[in-house]
Amino acid sequence: MAGSLLASKPTPAVTPSPVPRRGRLRRALSDRRTRFGLLNAAPVVVYLLILFIYPIFSTLLLSLKGEEGGWTLHWYADAFRGANLEILLTTLRISTETSLLSLVIGFLLAAAVSRLKPLWAGLVMLVVIVPHFISALVRTYGWIILLGEHGVINNALTDLHVPGAPFQLLYNELGVVIGTTSVMLPYTVLLLYAVMRGTDRRLLAAAAGMGAGRLTIFRRIYLPLVAPGLVNAGILCFILCLGYYLTPALMGGPKQTMVASLIDEQVMRQNQWNGASALGIILLLLTFAGLLLLRLVKSLGDAARKRGAAS
Amino acid sequence: MPELDVMTERQTPAADSPPGTGTGKPLSVTGLRKTYGGGVTAVDEVSMEIAAGEFVTFLGSSGSGKTTTLMMIAGFCEPDSGSIVVGGRDVTRLAPQKRGLGFVFQQYLLFPHMTVWENVAFPLQLRDIPKAELRRRVGETLEMAGLSGMARRRPRELSGGQQQRVALCRALVYRPPVILMDEPLGALDKKLRDQLQTEIKRIQRELGLTVIYVTHDQEEALVLSDRIAVMRDGRVDQFDTPRELFERPRTPFVADFLGAANFLAGHVEEQTPDHTLVRLDTGGLLKARPQTAQAPAQTPRVRAAVQPGRLGLCPAGQGFCTGTVETVTYVGTLVRVTVRPAGGADTEPVRLELPAGRAPAPGERVGLTADPDDVSVFPDSVSAPELGVPAPEQGR
Repeated sequence: MAGSLLASKPTPAVTPSPVPRRGRLRRALSDRRTRFGLLNAAPVVVYLLILFIYPIFSTLLLSLKGEEGGWTLHWYADAFRGANLEILLTTLRISTETSLLSLVIGFLLAAAVSRLKPLWAGLVMLVVIVPHFISALVRTYGWIILLGEHGVINNALTDLHVPGAPFQLLYNELGVVIGTTSVMLPYTVLLLYAVMRGTDRRLLAAAAGMGAGRLTIFRRIYLPLVAPGLVNAGILCFILCLGYYLTPALMGGPKQTMVASLIDEQVMRQNQWNGASALGIILLLLTFAGLLLLRLVKSLGDAARKRGAAS
Repeated sequence: MPELDVMTERQTPAADSPPGTGTGKPLSVTGLRKTYGGGVTAVDEVSMEIAAGEFVTFLGSSGSGKTTTLMMIAGFCEPDSGSIVVGGRDVTRLAPQKRGLGFVFQQYLLFPHMTVWENVAFPLQLRDIPKAELRRRVGETLEMAGLSGMARRRPRELSGGQQQRVALCRALVYRPPVILMDEPLGALDKKLRDQLQTEIKRIQRELGLTVIYVTHDQEEALVLSDRIAVMRDGRVDQFDTPRELFERPRTPFVADFLGAANFLAGHVEEQTPDHTLVRLDTGGLLKARPQTAQAPAQTPRVRAAVQPGRLGLCPAGQGFCTGTVETVTYVGTLVRVTVRPAGGADTEPVRLELPAGRAPAPGERVGLTADPDDVSVFPDSVSAPELGVPAPEQGR
């Protein structure tokens, strides 16, 4: 799909007038630049076919095959039934919670960093990003040590005689959200930081000069200017969370099983490739839905603004 | 909008007055001073009274303190000492949003996510103006600037000149007591600049706005201003009408910066209530207008300043100076002529601007004359006319 798009790109440039289809193709191919372009595109096309198109289509086929051959949709029906449906909904819920939390924390962090001098900003960003070079497994165990019943945090809270301590911070939804948020945070911070750095702070001063208070400036000027970044970061976070496996598996309880864990179980324990494929395809479709939502929000926002201008 | 506690104390008497009755307020600045880290004094004891409805320009080269002074009036920068009073209200320590002033910046600074209409409506929305009133005023303002057809466009869809007009509308629409403009036309080309100058001046007159305008462009300052404050090294050299600045410069810097004056070295030979006689180094005797208090009767060395356009030609041997015509350049209706004075070995050539019909030929020997009233005399504290160097206590 992407490959053919790439390959056909130079074609419109050399066909300015409506010529019959075959003639157009021949003329396009007779152009040296087009042929050269096709040659250049070939490695990418091959790469995508082998590593992208083929696996997706074979997964799709697998998910549509019955146990005794023939086509069936019952793997999908299974995915949307009983415990599986619950897992699907849990996945959506945890992904949403994680996205929102990492958006909020990421926003605060990025807003703070974007006000720092470049040197300090670079340093803080390094602190945010470097942990990502460490294996996610190690980091997750780090969290487990911190959050455990006799972990650093609970010990500190107990010593401070905080009522209710020690808290259950692991093997429940809170644990999963803490863990996945820490994994997603660098993405939101990076995306938001880029948008905020690109925002002209003098616009805020201009609004202040006109008499706008801090809250108004934030609501009417700053937030709309960084909104595209917020939407992008939120959706990216959500999509990454959907298929995330490690942290939920290690830090969650039985109620926090996510789709990735379910796939793992079906493949590793039940040798049930068809059902796993169906779940994989559902995840892919959810991802597409997320992207579609992004577009929809964008165009809705534009339309609303146009209507606002018209009134 | 509950968060706008700022707005409750805003005075809006001007908001309802029809155009032409004068929405501007007087502004007075006293002993304003700003020193940056490292002991650099950006603004040094600047004081001035600006009347309601007056168009005042801060003119100076970069680093003269003009923008810093403006920023202090705006509230974006706090003065070390001194006070700023707008329409009788001391605003020296107020945040910019509480001063209620208007701004036009060189970089337009329109809100990119809003349409032209929304940009102009924004300051009115902050003031909780009723919807019908808001619509009428935004419409009127846009119409005045010739932007009625652009209301729904985004700033990035407009040209630079149009964007700056929107910025101007946004500053005008809430009728602020004083509008501050920081080189608003600096990013535009010459033709557009001329056009917008005329428009800014027209709107300012119609609405009776008090405008403080910052520029380094002398011509722009002369065209627009009722009065100009010529700034140098954080001080105001002279604050006067364009005509006074031109004809009665109080410092050599002003004479040079505004009129590109010729400076002729010499010494005072005679001083009477009617005139001052200066014996030039080239031998001639130049009659100047009588000098005021700071006149350098005791200072032996002086510099006489005459604008190129105020010099005339006469037969050689007459006038205050005789010399040889070096270059003749046609500039439309004018000719620019340089004359190398005889007798002075390494004196600068004298520059003249004459009507095109009276051009001499290069190599011709001519005499130079000047009306005594057009000649200013300054004490020669520095030997050569090095104008960047501050002369002690001139014009202050």
